[in-house]
Amino acid sequence: MAVIEGALVYSNLLALLSIGLTITYITTGVPNFAQGTMAVFGSYVSLTLWLLFGVHPYHTIPVSFILGGILGIAIYTVVLRPMIQKEAMIVILMIATLAVDLILLGALGAYSETLGVISGKGTRKFIFTPMDFKILGADAILVISSLAILMLLFTLFLLLYKTKFGIALRASMENPALAEIMGVNVEYTRIFSWFLSGSLAAVAGTLLPFRQEIVPATGAIIIVSIFAASIVGGLSSIYGALAGGYIIGMSESMVTFYLSKVIGPYILVYSKVISLIVLIIALIVAPSGIAGLEIWRKRVWRKSSSS
Amino acid sequence: MEEESMAQEFFILDVLLWTSLYLIVTLSLNIEYGYAGIPNFGRALAVLMGAIAAGGIVNRILIAIFGVEGNIIEASGGLKSVVNPMIAQNPLFGLAILALSLVIAALIGAITGALFILPSAKLKQDYLAITLLAISEVIFMVSNYNTAIIGGYYGVSVPDILAWLPGEQRFLAFTVISLFVAILVYFFVERLLTSPYGRLLKAMRENEDVVEAFGKNIMTIRIKTVAIGSAVAATAGALYSFYSVNVIATTFNRVEWTFFPFLMLLLGGMGNNRGVVLGVFSFVLAKLFLTVYKFEIKTLLHLPFEATWLEYILFGIAMLLILYYRPEGILREKPVMTPPVKQALREREKPQS
Repeated sequence: MAVIEGALVYSNLLALLSIGLTITYITTGVPNFAQGTMAVFGSYVSLTLWLLFGVHPYHTIPVSFILGGILGIAIYTVVLRPMIQKEAMIVILMIATLAVDLILLGALGAYSETLGVISGKGTRKFIFTPMDFKILGADAILVISSLAILMLLFTLFLLLYKTKFGIALRASMENPALAEIMGVNVEYTRIFSWFLSGSLAAVAGTLLPFRQEIVPATGAIIIVSIFAASIVGGLSSIYGALAGGYIIGMSESMVTFYLSKVIGPYILVYSKVISLIVLIIALIVAPSGIAGLEIWRKRVWRKSSSS
Repeated sequence: MEEESMAQEFFILDVLLWTSLYLIVTLSLNIEYGYAGIPNFGRALAVLMGAIAAGGIVNRILIAIFGVEGNIIEASGGLKSVVNPMIAQNPLFGLAILALSLVIAALIGAITGALFILPSAKLKQDYLAITLLAISEVIFMVSNYNTAIIGGYYGVSVPDILAWLPGEQRFLAFTVISLFVAILVYFFVERLLTSPYGRLLKAMRENEDVVEAFGKNIMTIRIKTVAIGSAVAATAGALYSFYSVNVIATTFNRVEWTFFPFLMLLLGGMGNNRGVVLGVFSFVLAKLFLTVYKFEIKTLLHLPFEATWLEYILFGIAMLLILYYRPEGILREKPVMTPPVKQALREREKPQS
């Protein structure tokens, strides 16, 4: 039971991260290699508030949501937008996000040591698990991470389908050029997507230390799972990313767990191999991800033709 | 005074050694990305393969020959104490080990490179870059955690191929050997890329459909190119292992062997081997300067953290500045002057004169 709980928590967090990655890919066309380190940024925001002011990590979620969003906007407006305006090639933009990842890693590493000096505690490695408590018999992290996903989906649904801004947003995701002609400011939707991506990553980062140990370089390790989840989802729809997050999260935790029972506990450190295998299978079977599978297209077509 | 000149000498040798190691890797990236336009975000994997050739394969061959007992970590230590005295007696034996390792490194580099690029058959450029990075990162993690391959984070020892030389001369001799290999690689890459094959790669980079229309198979060209590139990069991994007389998987990380080569390539100018030399040399100079004065920088600026983090920030910013202000690098790519091109240019000038 504890294994399934852990797997669910991990899947929730992975879904948050891959939804973030997917929306910025849809609006700006750049796979963001810094997504993992953006999550670790959130972990350090919460660690700071906990160490210096004694705020419980769960109460720091709003702060890291906002700071993460600001980080996302900064990455887009300072680094990517000037390059996109110069019509840089996609590979150049990808290398730019790799550079952002390295800068963030350096900044977080420097910050973690500085924080250690200020607070007088070891901050190189940390984990929040001892601070977790029970809600109705389940670990609070399971409840909170599931609530985060549900709230996100509900808000996104309201925003995308019930507001004018949401319609503009969907239009500029589908066809930016056409949306621009119709008077939608595509720039706003891009900035919004980077805000959302950064804030979701930071919230996932606040919750991640309840499940695993965090070091400044954790981002480089989880990026494999984030990309696997997003590619399995097809990098083209939010629901695809959500499903991808659960497929990768569950298979990574459950498959490694059962393999460890059969082969031995040493297998546990190779969980990322499972992500990679699922990623490669997905690329061979469905190169455009589960969101691009034929069955969905047919259903959408039937719906639109019958109405 | 004496000490200062020693330190200076050491610094110069360090610059030359790292220039040759990074030159090999960056030239290999120039073949793949600079010429062929394949975004190989998994360069570190080929370098790791070179280290596996030295620490995993050649070590095991020697362990089997000399019958050393124990797991790879212990046996490699035992092997060192058997083989080093033999090399001290017979320098040629050391060079033979090096040559064998370089050949094996190139071979398994080529094989992994050819396999590694297969996903590109179905993928767009950005998906491909992600997949290559993921494959490289996962194999790096496995060889870091699994101590049975090359000792993982504990590492294994490799024989000192220059055991017949005393300490300070060993560094000089090893630098000369690395420079020699790097120069060989430079001329090989230069010949390869000024041949019709190099122009085929450039054509593929600019427009794959045109190349296909001329009856070339894109996939074959890609497999060949990444195999050659990875073979070249793997030799750097083997050389580095023999320089540091041990192999620790943790050193073959993404920042040092994928990101930095990209930085050097873009700094110098892609599609241009002289530019690569310039890019590598300036980067190595800056990097070693930061390494040498690490402690001074830390105390002078009153940094409460290690200067390594500062290095990451600075090189990340440097990359962004290059990408924004000069994506073509210090030296621009020039067209290859083949005899027909020269003739055409001459004919174009004639009517004007």
